[in-house]
Amino acid sequence: MGEVVLKAENINKDYQMGEVTVKALKDASFEVQKGEFVVILGPSGSGKSTLLNIIGGMDTPTEGKVYFNGGLITDMSDKELTYYRRDRIGFVFQFYNLMSTLTAKENVELAAELCENAIDTDEVMDAVGLGDRADHFPSQMSGGEQQRVAIARAVAKNPQILLCDEPTGALDFETGIQILKVLKDVNLKYGNTVILITHNSSISQMADKVIKMRSGKITEVSANLNPIPAERIEW
Amino acid sequence: MKKLDKRLFRMIKATKGQYVAVLSIIFTGIFVFTAISNSAVNLKDSMDVYYKETNFADIFIKGSGITESLVSRLYSEDGVKEAEARIVFDTSFITDDRDEKVNVRAVSVDKYENKINKLFMKSGKRELTENDVILIEQFATARKINIGDEIRVKINGRQHKFNVSGIASSSEYIYMMESEENFMPDSENFGVIFLEKNYLRKIYGGGSFNEILLKVNEDADIGKIADRLDNSLDKYGVRRVIKKEDQLSNNMMNQEISGLELMSQSMPFVFLTFAGIMLATMLSRIVKKDRMSIGVLKAMGFTESEILVHYLKYAASVGIIGGLIGSLTGTAASGFMTSFYLEFFNIPMLTVKIYYYKILISVVLSLLFCVASGFWGVRGVVKINPAESMKPEAPKKGKKIFIENIKFLWGNIPFSWKIVLRNILREKKKFIFIGAAVAITCGMMVMTTWMIDVVDAMFNRHYEEFNKIQYNVSFDRFRDDSTINKLLSHIDAKHIEGRIEAPFEISNGRKSKIVNVIGLHDNTEFYKFRDEAGAEVVLPETGILISSNLARALDARIGDKILIDSFYDDKDVFVVVKGVINQTLGINGYMNIDYMSGMFFDKGIINGAYINSEDDVVKKSDEMKYINVQSQDSMRKAFEEYTAITSMSMGFMVIFSGFLGFIIVYSMTLMSINERMLEFSSLRVMGFTKMEIFNMLVRENMIMTVIGIAAGIPIGFRMVAYMGKSFTTDVYTMNEPVKLKGILISAVLTIVFIMLAQLMTYAKINKLNFMQALKSRIS
Repeated sequence: MGEVVLKAENINKDYQMGEVTVKALKDASFEVQKGEFVVILGPSGSGKSTLLNIIGGMDTPTEGKVYFNGGLITDMSDKELTYYRRDRIGFVFQFYNLMSTLTAKENVELAAELCENAIDTDEVMDAVGLGDRADHFPSQMSGGEQQRVAIARAVAKNPQILLCDEPTGALDFETGIQILKVLKDVNLKYGNTVILITHNSSISQMADKVIKMRSGKITEVSANLNPIPAERIEW
Repeated sequence: MKKLDKRLFRMIKATKGQYVAVLSIIFTGIFVFTAISNSAVNLKDSMDVYYKETNFADIFIKGSGITESLVSRLYSEDGVKEAEARIVFDTSFITDDRDEKVNVRAVSVDKYENKINKLFMKSGKRELTENDVILIEQFATARKINIGDEIRVKINGRQHKFNVSGIASSSEYIYMMESEENFMPDSENFGVIFLEKNYLRKIYGGGSFNEILLKVNEDADIGKIADRLDNSLDKYGVRRVIKKEDQLSNNMMNQEISGLELMSQSMPFVFLTFAGIMLATMLSRIVKKDRMSIGVLKAMGFTESEILVHYLKYAASVGIIGGLIGSLTGTAASGFMTSFYLEFFNIPMLTVKIYYYKILISVVLSLLFCVASGFWGVRGVVKINPAESMKPEAPKKGKKIFIENIKFLWGNIPFSWKIVLRNILREKKKFIFIGAAVAITCGMMVMTTWMIDVVDAMFNRHYEEFNKIQYNVSFDRFRDDSTINKLLSHIDAKHIEGRIEAPFEISNGRKSKIVNVIGLHDNTEFYKFRDEAGAEVVLPETGILISSNLARALDARIGDKILIDSFYDDKDVFVVVKGVINQTLGINGYMNIDYMSGMFFDKGIINGAYINSEDDVVKKSDEMKYINVQSQDSMRKAFEEYTAITSMSMGFMVIFSGFLGFIIVYSMTLMSINERMLEFSSLRVMGFTKMEIFNMLVRENMIMTVIGIAAGIPIGFRMVAYMGKSFTTDVYTMNEPVKLKGILISAVLTIVFIMLAQLMTYAKINKLNFMQALKSRIS
């Protein structure tokens, strides 16, 4: 059993939609070990993005606790959460969300400038296979390339946890596989914990741990003793 | 360079049109502020240095038969530092052209150097012998008189020849003004000559003086000492005690400086306010557009203050660049502007300084202003939730605008007009801003066209409606009214009336003013008095009519009893104000001549006459040694020169105000185009042409232009009232109504500037890649 890097206890999240209270998360609890590749699997509306936002310090739960390296993050102020995101977390979004006015490398440098122990940006660019596209602007790149830049941007900060919100959701199969491979490579090379949310069950085959969700609840947490390489996944 | 700063730099590049627009408004505001306020400081400083250098008098005492013993007595007065007596009188300057009438003021000066009001020599020597004369520079330049030339002047009825030994400036005549009535400098026809004191005493006759100049120990005591002397020196032949602040040239200078200061505060305020609103609007739109990027930055761990500072740097860069360029070019322009003032004001040590502290203040002010406006615009950054911002924003709720409820009307409006109306009513703030910019532009145009109009109207109203005097003849002294017959033996007059014109100190309670009161015949044909409402006012048999600016200065109303203090025989009389009249030029009181002479002078005496005649009275006046003539034509000539210069500054005002409307409409339309790319793209897909889309924008702005012009006209009226009040002085009263022609010209000019801005935006519409906009999904 590895060291627990993240622990969620009875997370509840309610949203008020007019007069109706929507329960987005119901008593969600789980643990993530250091260096694990975790896939949170669930259909659209199951609460996985809400959960990701809460563990990433972008949102706060209505009830429950989240511990990072043993420290409680759900009690943190806005400012403390900002520094938590800055120093510990790297985000990868479904629609890449790059700064359109910065080149690929500049997008990565933007993140690297935030941290003292950032990884060399050229090295990260090479790691995601974009060393030769560094000076291109997002508008000059394909979706897959943009997502690689987004991964490089997240990794460059040298975060302990990489949170990926449907990173292959906007990509075709081939490109999606390449992205998953990059994420796994990064996971292995830099030792980051990767938490990836997806509605695509095939992706769970490459995970060390799979957390299944439905209607705001965690229905199953299972360890995958024989994860397969990304190249062998099919959907 | 930090990557966030690089992003900022590229953001500026991407919005360069709007950036330059707001920068140019800030620039204009700061430029106007620096140029005008520096000119005011330059003038004030130079004037102060000049006054110090020449030991400019604090108090001017005027009278007759003043002896040297009075000068000695004044030295014993508490607070008096220096005193100097002199002779000053106006006389004729003889030229070769017999048709020409030139007046000079002869002033006695010490052989070597005066103690007070020293001359500032421009060329020649200061030492004067009996036959030497020093000429004031403006007069010498206008008449092309050089050192060594001979001039002829009539003194005490005799022609005297003098050799021009020097040309000098005088701090007493920075602004060459002959009298309150002849307020426009006419250096060719009025000059000052300085003659050796003892010689002038000898040839002028009598040996006594008629003026004393005083310097006091403390500036703060000038008023107190002047009042004390005014009450105590009557028996010594003193008629008027004039404080430095009331001295003609100094008063005009101070009024000009105050006018500049007022302008340096009001114009930049308008520009900076609009720039501020524009900057806030621009940044709030940028932040809105960058919502997703801001979410990403927050998710990455950038703090709110780091993100706020990132956007505020945009505003700060506008402030610093605009402030710096504005204040530097403004400083340079103030040099030109100050030299331009040299045309009117003769200050030999006029130096143009670079006021580094002003540049610094301008930049800091502009920076603070822009950052504050920017903060207002970017404060929305705080509200952006990183988790929420990743999702595309829900489309705005479309709700019906009120016109849609009027079914019949709405049903008959074409589709493209429906979009226009909905857009205006859904983006009220933006359109109110455009409307306000158009309104201010139009208001400033109304004010400017009025200013151009009023200068001319003041003159015409005064000389064509208020009085119809072709020639104003002044006698050398009070004479019997039979002098009129003497005049008529030389001049073939259509109409002639004797008059009295004399200075009095008029007081109402604690307020007092020295003005010329004019005595007229009760059925005078030369004046037509009207009150401020325009109703005719008849010259009363008793009591006094006062001009509206005098009424304001004295805080006097009809029925008030005001104290009139004569300078001739020290008689104080309470007189009832029978009417307050409208007078555009000058500040005066008017009385029935019999009532006036009965109270202050001997019955049946006059000291001048008004004449309307086909004859050239100026030319004929040469035959009459005792008269001095002013013609309306010469006044008009001087006035036209004066108005040519004001027209130029008004031209700048038109350009500045038009520029404001142009820039705001241009940049707000650009902003609209950028934000509505998706909407326009959809319309293009539907088959709308570029011109049809452009026409939609034109319609939106035209509606706001019409509303703006409608709102701008009353704003213009308010500005006119404010300007009229601010610029009304003892010399002129600006209370002309705004004319329909001025309103129409203003509206047309406003439309022209707005249309120009619209045409400029067409280039942007033409270049837009609509298909690209539909595909774009990058934040």
